[in-house]
Amino acid sequence: MGLIEPQTGFPPLGTAKDVTGFLRLDNVTKTYVSDGQPVQALCGVSLAVRDGEFIALVGRSGCGKSTLLNLAGAMDFPTSGRVLLDGVSTSDVNENGLTRLRREKVGFIFQSFQLLNTLTVLENVELPLLLAGESDACDRAQQQLDLVELGDLGSRMPHQLSGGQMQRVAIARAMVHSPKLLLADEPTGNLDTVTGNVILEGLRRIADEGKTAILMATHSSESAAFTDAIVKMRDGRIQEVVRP
Amino acid sequence: MSRLRLFYRLILRPLHREPLRTFLVVLAVALGVAVVLALELAGDAAAGSFRSSIETLTGDADLEVTAIGGVPDEVIGKLATLPYSITVRPRIEDYAVVKATGQTVPLVGLDLIAEHPENLNLDRQNSAKADEIADTANQGVWISQRLGAKAGDKIRLQINDQTNEYLVRGVLKDSGDSGGLVLMDIATAQRALHRLGRVDRVLLKVPSTPSLEEWEQRLRAVLPAGVELRREGSQTDENRRMLSAFRWNLRILSYVALVVGAFLIFNTISVSVVRRRPEIGIVRALGASRSDVLTAFLGEAACFGFIGGLLGILSGRLLASGAVGLLGATVDNLYVSSRPAPIELTPGTILFGLAIGVGMSLASAASPAREASLVAPIEAMARGEREYAARVHKVRDLWIAVVLAVFGAAASLAPAIAGKPFFGYASALLMIAACAFAIPALVSGLTAVSSQLLRRIAGVEAFLASRSLAASLRRTSVLVGALATAIAMTTSVGIMVGSFRQTVQVWMDNQLTADLFLRPAGDPAVDRHPTIDPSLADKIALLPGVAGVDRFRGYEISYQGLPASLGSADTVGAHDLEKIQFLSGRRTSVVNAELRSGANAVVSEPFANKHHVRAGDVITLPLGAAQVPFRVVDIFYDYGSEKGFIVVDRSIMLRYVPDPAPSNLAVYVATGSSVDQVRAEVEKIASGHNLMIFTNRNLRTEAIRIFDRTFAITYALEVVAVTVAIIGIAGALLALVIDRRRELGLLRFLGAAVSQIRKLILVEAGLIGLLANLAGLALGIVLSLLLIFVINKQSFGWTIQFHWPIAVLLSALTLVYVATVLAGFYPARVAARLDPIEVVHEE
Repeated sequence: MGLIEPQTGFPPLGTAKDVTGFLRLDNVTKTYVSDGQPVQALCGVSLAVRDGEFIALVGRSGCGKSTLLNLAGAMDFPTSGRVLLDGVSTSDVNENGLTRLRREKVGFIFQSFQLLNTLTVLENVELPLLLAGESDACDRAQQQLDLVELGDLGSRMPHQLSGGQMQRVAIARAMVHSPKLLLADEPTGNLDTVTGNVILEGLRRIADEGKTAILMATHSSESAAFTDAIVKMRDGRIQEVVRP
Repeated sequence: MSRLRLFYRLILRPLHREPLRTFLVVLAVALGVAVVLALELAGDAAAGSFRSSIETLTGDADLEVTAIGGVPDEVIGKLATLPYSITVRPRIEDYAVVKATGQTVPLVGLDLIAEHPENLNLDRQNSAKADEIADTANQGVWISQRLGAKAGDKIRLQINDQTNEYLVRGVLKDSGDSGGLVLMDIATAQRALHRLGRVDRVLLKVPSTPSLEEWEQRLRAVLPAGVELRREGSQTDENRRMLSAFRWNLRILSYVALVVGAFLIFNTISVSVVRRRPEIGIVRALGASRSDVLTAFLGEAACFGFIGGLLGILSGRLLASGAVGLLGATVDNLYVSSRPAPIELTPGTILFGLAIGVGMSLASAASPAREASLVAPIEAMARGEREYAARVHKVRDLWIAVVLAVFGAAASLAPAIAGKPFFGYASALLMIAACAFAIPALVSGLTAVSSQLLRRIAGVEAFLASRSLAASLRRTSVLVGALATAIAMTTSVGIMVGSFRQTVQVWMDNQLTADLFLRPAGDPAVDRHPTIDPSLADKIALLPGVAGVDRFRGYEISYQGLPASLGSADTVGAHDLEKIQFLSGRRTSVVNAELRSGANAVVSEPFANKHHVRAGDVITLPLGAAQVPFRVVDIFYDYGSEKGFIVVDRSIMLRYVPDPAPSNLAVYVATGSSVDQVRAEVEKIASGHNLMIFTNRNLRTEAIRIFDRTFAITYALEVVAVTVAIIGIAGALLALVIDRRRELGLLRFLGAAVSQIRKLILVEAGLIGLLANLAGLALGIVLSLLLIFVINKQSFGWTIQFHWPIAVLLSALTLVYVATVLAGFYPARVAARLDPIEVVHEE
């Protein structure tokens, strides 16, 4: 685990600059305007994640977990501060550059799986590679499906799968282009405990391979038990860092 | 009241969130209503409220006496001396050309000595006094205000092939819809028209007792056999009947735009139902009944229909002003010289516009609204059910399509009813329905086999677009169906008109073999036969380089209650050169010999079809003092007149109607002689006559120009139908983008660039265009066969040779395709601007 700077009441465990890793947030603030009023979603957040680290973001709804994930995934820009992906500030990159970053280095997993119902399982997994114009998409997608033990279900449609299977397909899709950062937003939120644990074990294995860092937003402290560190968030700030 | 409030909150208010899409749907309805209403209004003005332009100053007559070639003066004398208190008003009716403006106006000759001045509608401040009229009758003319001259002015008029100067003795008040009029004393008119001893019509006013039937019997008894007595206004009724087939066909064409609009309303309400499934579930759980839900969605459709109908009425009124000119020209060119009535937007018309707008919307919304009412509350509130996954039974639908097509084919074999191809229309409708039912299978099949190919050719965006279309099968099918119907209409009318044009050209190549054609100057019209000095043909025949001259004389007659044309033609000498095509395939010289041999006639194909006449039948014509039976020896192809021609030999005709003046001359130039030189000689000889001389090529060009003008209205209708469909595509794609925003946002998360999202939507638009083009072309070919061989044949009686107007088809299909892709630009822009975070997380 890298460095976490709690904003109030907690002693710093180090400085962000000390940590080398794919993702780093330096004093990031994000303010939205809602109905003409500014709403601060993140306030002075600093965070760095090393390769292969599995970190849980825990907190109530609206505490800023998803906003942090979106900034980390180059889907949004900070109002102030910097988000560095592979050493590059996302604020300094144009739209095409951000798209390239996502295609090559970031994977997403969502609570409601977000598979395209119009595509087969294999085609869903192929999708990021196809969007990136990769030529060997089919073989690589099949390998990923094999890794999540769904190799035989490639021709099925998403609605023919169970919730757990769907989330494993989503993981395969997120990992198909070997990203350096996997962002998971409540990946077990729609699953029962047993199935959820299977998914978390899968994520743990990915992190253990040491190539991909995982940042997971979750409500569940049980889920957080699978991670290397738990970052507790409240009102847009990092409140506490806990190592299980 | 509370229900209205709920209706506003749950149905109407959400429409505000998508103003553009709402506007596009209303616009589609408005255009559909506008086209139907415009043609109805313009049709009423140009044909429905038909009045022949000659029907002026007819007073309140009860009966009229007519005869082919004119009613002899003796008949007038006989009628006037009958021991009854009847008013006898003889009339001369023809046309004159005002030389200063070139305008052709009706020329009416009345017995001004006997005529009551009050009947003439004189502008008293600008006319001779009433008691002077009789004195000045022989010296001048009275003209309508619209012609712009005043009493005392001189006006140059061309009557037949002669131009003379006339003194304007007075001015007639315009009646509002009048296109101009020249009035003469009957004797002056007879002289000017070389119609001495005959009048065109005699109007009779009879006492109210005994009955009109009784009067008809009494008067018929004293009239010669060749003179007809009928109710005044019969000709107007006949013309109206004749025009009804023309109006029906236009009406049916205009309804195609409505059908396209109906597809789009169906799509809109279907989308609305799918989007609001959770809301339906909630309101059902809160106590709304199935009928409440049904009423709400029907109410939404009715709102679209009502607002679209109102807009359609306003724009229809505007369009009608333009359409009436086109329709009037077609009526003039093909049927009869007409005088369009003013366009009237009556309360009835407004109600009609609203009724078709609301009715069409309700009818097309009935199925999705019913589906909404059947939604189970729990199912509707469940998450993840918001995809557009309405049930489509494509195999069942394909079977329905086959059954409909079989019924359609069977209907095409049924005969016309009262001269109208109702079964032909039904067949076309069944074929359109069959196509609509077959489209889900087509879309599903083609996208399934082509998606991987598309991926290789056009990238992952094309692959995703293809899959997305197949997944939203019902919505895609409706869109493809709407556009395919519009394309089918364009294609079928394009093929029909192209085939007709080609047939007419081939026909002219065979028929028009003379080198020069002469007719009196003035606007050509199918029911006007101004005449040429009879001696001119003989003089031209004697010119060096002239191989022969054919004379033709036309008359307008009534046959079995419908207008028709009777012609007499030279059948000896040069006429043999003509290659008239007969249905029997016999040579012209053989048929001509039969015509010369006695009371024989040939009739045109439209006449034969309209009156069910076959070779060998006998038709009886009132000629001179007798009812003359003519044996029909053959039937010839003709595309010049829809009402049909009867042609007899000139020498036979002269026995009954001794008027030698021809209305047209055809001059054949001897082999080796120069057409230009002969034309120069003819012009010299004809210098005292106001004639138009056409070369063979000029005449064909002129005929094709008139042909193209005639069909201009159908092209205008096609443009509107395709526009409605394109508007629908734009609106539907916009809805598609809104409904699939989660998927589009997700693609951004997965690494899709903005340009790829844009391309995805454009490819979807392109695929819809492509599928619609395929289905539309197939349906269009079927409809064109129906138009050519069933509807046209039964309505008008013409045989049209099928022809592929490849260039027209290709350009129309390309245009539609490009327009469809262009319609995708705005939705693509909206898709590209979606915020992926917002749209993914709102789920």
